[in-house]
Parts: sequence; structure tokens; C-alpha cells
Amino acid sequence: MQTVKSVITWIVLGGSAATLAACTTTKPPAEKPAAAPAAPITAAAAANMGSNCFTCHGPEGRSPGSIPSLHGKTAESLVKTLQDFKSGARPSTVMARHAKGYSDAEIAAIAKYISSFK
Amino acid sequence: MSRITRRDFLKFTGGAGAASTLGMLGISSTAHAAKHGNMGAHVVVVGGGFGGATCAKYLKRAGINVTLIEPSTKFVTCPFSNYVLGGTHKIENITHSYDALRNSGVKVVRDTVTDIDAAGKSVKLKGGKTLKYDRLVVSPGIDFKWDAIKGYSEQASQKMPHAWKAGPQTLLLRKQLENMKDGGTFILVAPPNPFRCPPGPYERASMVAYYLKNHKPKSKVLILDPKDAFSKQGLFQDGWKKLYGNMIEWVPGKAGGKVSAVDTKTMTVTGELDKFKGAVVNVIPAQTAGSIALKAGLANESGFCPVDPKTFESKIHKGIHVIGDSSIAGALPKSGFAANSEAKMCASAIAAMIKGEPIADVSFVNTCYSLIAPNYGISVAGVYRVTEKGIADVPGAGGVSPKEATDTFREEEAKYALGWYASITADTWG
Ligand SMILES: Cc1cc2nc3c(=O)[nH]c(=O)nc-3n(C[C@H](O)[C@H](O)[C@H](O)COP(=O)(O)OP(=O)(O)OC[C@H]3O[C@@H](n4cnc5c(N)ncnc54)[C@H](O)[C@@H]3O)c2cc1C
Ligand code: HEC
Repeated sequence: MQTVKSVITWIVLGGSAATLAACTTTKPPAEKPAAAPAAPITAAAAANMGSNCFTCHGPEGRSPGSIPSLHGKTAESLVKTLQDFKSGARPSTVMARHAKGYSDAEIAAIAKYISSFK
Repeated sequence: MSRITRRDFLKFTGGAGAASTLGMLGISSTAHAAKHGNMGAHVVVVGGGFGGATCAKYLKRAGINVTLIEPSTKFVTCPFSNYVLGGTHKIENITHSYDALRNSGVKVVRDTVTDIDAAGKSVKLKGGKTLKYDRLVVSPGIDFKWDAIKGYSEQASQKMPHAWKAGPQTLLLRKQLENMKDGGTFILVAPPNPFRCPPGPYERASMVAYYLKNHKPKSKVLILDPKDAFSKQGLFQDGWKKLYGNMIEWVPGKAGGKVSAVDTKTMTVTGELDKFKGAVVNVIPAQTAGSIALKAGLANESGFCPVDPKTFESKIHKGIHVIGDSSIAGALPKSGFAANSEAKMCASAIAAMIKGEPIADVSFVNTCYSLIAPNYGISVAGVYRVTEKGIADVPGAGGVSPKEATDTFREEEAKYALGWYASITADTWG
């Protein structure tokens, strides 16, 4: 997990998406272990991660039942809530267990994807 | 991954007829297809359960031409069928039609696939037709090893139901429960690993106990298990004690829980140390991939199908993807949730292959909610990625509900279990 941490730190410390893209486009995507995404998160990868949220939160985030809808929330508010679940600042039954599965960069990408449904 | 050329594309659609074929398929722009890959490609999906229906829906959303083959007109879900046994739900509450999928443009064919020709890229249907495909998705669920327990068979399941495929078997077991006399023993013969829905047998024991406690309180639930441990075991056993006292007894393999024979005439079950007589006997047999997957040679010696962890393409037959319970999916359990997640990743990979785009990184999620009583829910969750070792848990994420929790917490989880069901069924068949 050493690599994951250093990549995240690097992104947080200001490695821009453009730099990341330039560094990694020559590598074939299949060779990277997905647990340590060194490349920027593509829109398709974000959609893959985000679509798994719909299994509980309903198609496109429109929940037909007791789990809150995600539809109509802004990316900023989604990021804040997910980070709070992850840190424990916001108590939850199950969301902490899910939020801990994603890096900060992945949370940002998922939030962008989910907030894109109009 | 090879980009599909204009020539292949024309070959497939029949040369000069390409434009009109595409028109028939409901694809508006041939120029778009030629530029972005083989958009006329046809994907056939076998099975309209959690894996197949989700995959068909997400392929269609990606603009792919898809046909779904399923013998039933309506799908009865295994998830929540334990609540039909417990009496809190009716079978209609867990039955879903294919209308919405049809309306979204998926071609739903009511038939059974009898043969898969991997070399010729076609499937044969019971009704007589043969369908060509460019890629095939196989999601037939599970079938049973009928000969694993002496005296058990498909015919015997009319007296000792498995109810491990939902529908008539669920209703039969419910009826037997209703007819059971107070003071009888409900025997549940649990399956060996691997089987669909790891917490399922123990949730079933809970919901049967819930019904018996309220209607036949002198009765017992006896679980005979070949295993020495099970999913969410601590949480289940705490809940059983709290809610049902000593009503539920679990006999693990090491205490003689492995059943070798049953007798439907005397309603007896033979364990390693004892014979047991049941008023109602629920036998959940050992399982394999769906029989069509076995017949097509997609399974290995384990009885399940090895696949590429990213695309779910068969490691045995190229061009065929196996998802859901039939697949060997690393750390992912055999659950409806996992089948739904695998289906989305598989649809995304197939769409990319067809469009000639790179295959995106994948991520999987699972959560199995179980109700120990209608107001007492527990869960196990996981987030999964592809590593060198295949599909593996993301360390630090997931896990089970806390061991110590307030009644309100368990009640919240029970409420969210209902919410999950509403969402996943809308995501799959809605
Ligand atoms: C009692 C019980 C409770 C459960 N509870 C939960 C739960 O709470 N949460 C959860 O996530 N999972 C749960 N599961 C597990 C879940 O039901 C399965 O994991 C899920 O159904 C797997 O999806 P699938 O697509 O592989 O198979 P299925 O959903 O079984 O779908 C298979 C489909 O393929 C069709 N088919 C088979 N052969 C052919 C053929 N030759 N041609 C055409 N069609 C064919 C069948 O008719 C069927 O419709 C439970 C299971 C049981 C038994
Ligand atoms: C197993 C079902 C499940 C999955 C999967 C899931 N969620 Fe949740 N989510 C919940 C539940 C239940 C809550 C209520 C808080 C709690 O008790 O955990 C919730 C709450 C939330 C909230 C707060 C909403 C509000 O208005 O209060 C957000 C935001 C959220 N989830 C985002 C996500 C995202 C993004 C994903 C995918 C990465 C996701 N969830 C996956 C079940 C789920």
C-alpha cells in the first residue's frame, strides 16, 4: 500500500491532473493494479465506481425507498459528506464502511460523476 | 483488445445492407458507428436475473444492441424470499416484470438457451431459433448437485423444498410452515461452500424463528451444517439469543452437522452422529454454476467459471463473459449485489471493446443485509478492486455491523435493508 499513499500525497501536494496524464499515457492501462491507481481517474472509471452507489441509492441516485437520494446534490456537498463519513465526523450505519474504500481523488471523481445527472 | 475494422463491421451487417440493418436496430448514425467502432455489434445475454438484467440494461444505456434470453415472464427474487417465509412479505412484493427493460430498448426473448456454440458465436434456443452474437454474457445463476445427499433429488424437493431458487419452492416451504404443528422441528440442512448468498441460510433460520415465535412458540429450528463457521456468525448468534432464546440450534460440521442422507417418507435426516426427525425439512443442496454454463464447457473442475477479473470474459472461451453466481470472482461473494456490480463492470468493458475504446479501471461493491427480525438488521459490506491476486477487498474498507449496537442502530439497518431492495430492483429491472 506504500505506492497508494505516495500517489495520493503527490496529488494532494499539487501534482496536477495534466502532469499526471502526460506521465502515464504511454503505459497500457491493463498493466496497472487497480488498487493503486497511479493515472488520473478517467470519466469511464469514475462512472464504474459511481454506478455501484446506485445499487443502494437508486438509478442515477434517485432512491425509490428509505436510503437518501443523491440526485440533485452538488459535487462539493457529496465530497464533504463522503469525507465526513470516512473520517467518522458524521456517524453512519454503513457509509463509513463504503467511503473508506476510496481515495480522496476517487471521492472527487465519484462526486463529479453523480452530480452530472440532471 | 482489437479495434473492429470497417471491413469486419460491413461483413457483420451484410455489406450493402449495413445502413438499413442499423436502422432496424434503432441506431441513427452509421457515420458514428464507423468512426467509433462496431456499433452494430450484437450482444446476447443469457438469464434475466440480477447479473443478466443489469448487464442488459447498462449495455443498452451505452448504446449497444442487446438481446436478453430468459424463460420466465416475471422474475421472483431470492433476496427477500426469506421474508415471504417469515410472513412479512408476499410473493408479489418480490416479483419483477421485464416491461421496463423492454421499454428501454432491450430485446427480451422468452426462451431457454439449450446450446452455446463458442466457435460459431451463436446460441440455440429451446424454441428452435439460433441467434448470432458478437459477444455473449452468461448469467444463469446456480444449479444443484442433486446427488450430494443420498435420498435427495429434484423430485424429493417437492417434499423437502430447497427454496434456494425463489418462486414455487418458496411458496411450498411457506405452506409447510403454515401447516406445521406447534412443537415441531424445522430442520434446515445448510450447504457446503461455495454457495449463493453466504448469510442466506442463517437469515432464513432467523425469519422462520420469527414466524414460529409468534405462531408456534413451542417449535424449534435446527440447522445442520457441514461447515464450522458462517457469515456474520457472531452477529447472528447474538441476535438469535436476544430475540429467540434457545429456539434456534446450530450444529456445526465438527459436532456432526454434515448430512449424508435424507428420507422423505419418514421425514428423517441422517447426520454423522444422529438421525433427526423434522416436521418441515428444508434441504439446501451443494451448488454449481448454472447448467448451461457447465454444458458450454465454461466451468473448471470446481464447477464454477474462471473469468478475467476486469472484463469477466471467460478464461476458457473468448467472446463469452460469465457473471453472477456462476463466475469465480475472487473475494466477491455470490450475491445479487455482487452480480449487479459485476454486470455493470462487464457492460462497461464490453461497450469499450465494441466502441474500440480503452477498458476503464473497475471497482466492485457488495453489501449483504440480513434481517434477524423485521426490526433487527445486520450487514456485511466490502469494496473490491483488481489486484495481482485477482478481485480483492480494499483494506480498511467494508466489514460487518458493530457487535455492540443500540436497538435503534439495528432498526436503522433493517429500514435500510428495505431501501436497498427497492433500489437494487429498480437499478436491475426498473
Ligand atoms: C434465500 C436467498 C436469499 C438471498 N438474499 C440475498 C440478499 O439479501 N442480497 C443479495 O445480494 N443476494 C441475495 N441472494 C443471492 C442472489 O439471489 C444471487 O446471488 C443472485 O440471484 C445471482 O444473480 P445471477 O444473475 O447470477 O443469477 P439469478 O439471479 O438466479 O438469475 C439467473 C437467471 O438465468 C435464467 N437462466 C438459467 N439458465 C438459463 C438458460 N439456459 N437460458 C436462459 N435463461 C437461463 C434463470 O431463469 C434466471 O432467471 C439470496 C439468495 C437466496 C437463495
Ligand atoms: C449498502 C448501501 C449503500 C451503498 C453501496 C452506498 N450507500 Fe450511501 N448511504 C447509504 C445509507 C444507508 C445512508 C444513510 C447513512 C448511513 O446510515 O450509512 C447513505 C448516505 C449517503 C449520503 C448522505 C446522504 C444524505 O442526504 O444524508 C451520501 C452523500 C452517500 N450515501 C453517498 C454514497 C456514494 C457516493 C456511494 C458510492 C461510493 C454510496 N453512498 C454507496 C447506503 C449506501
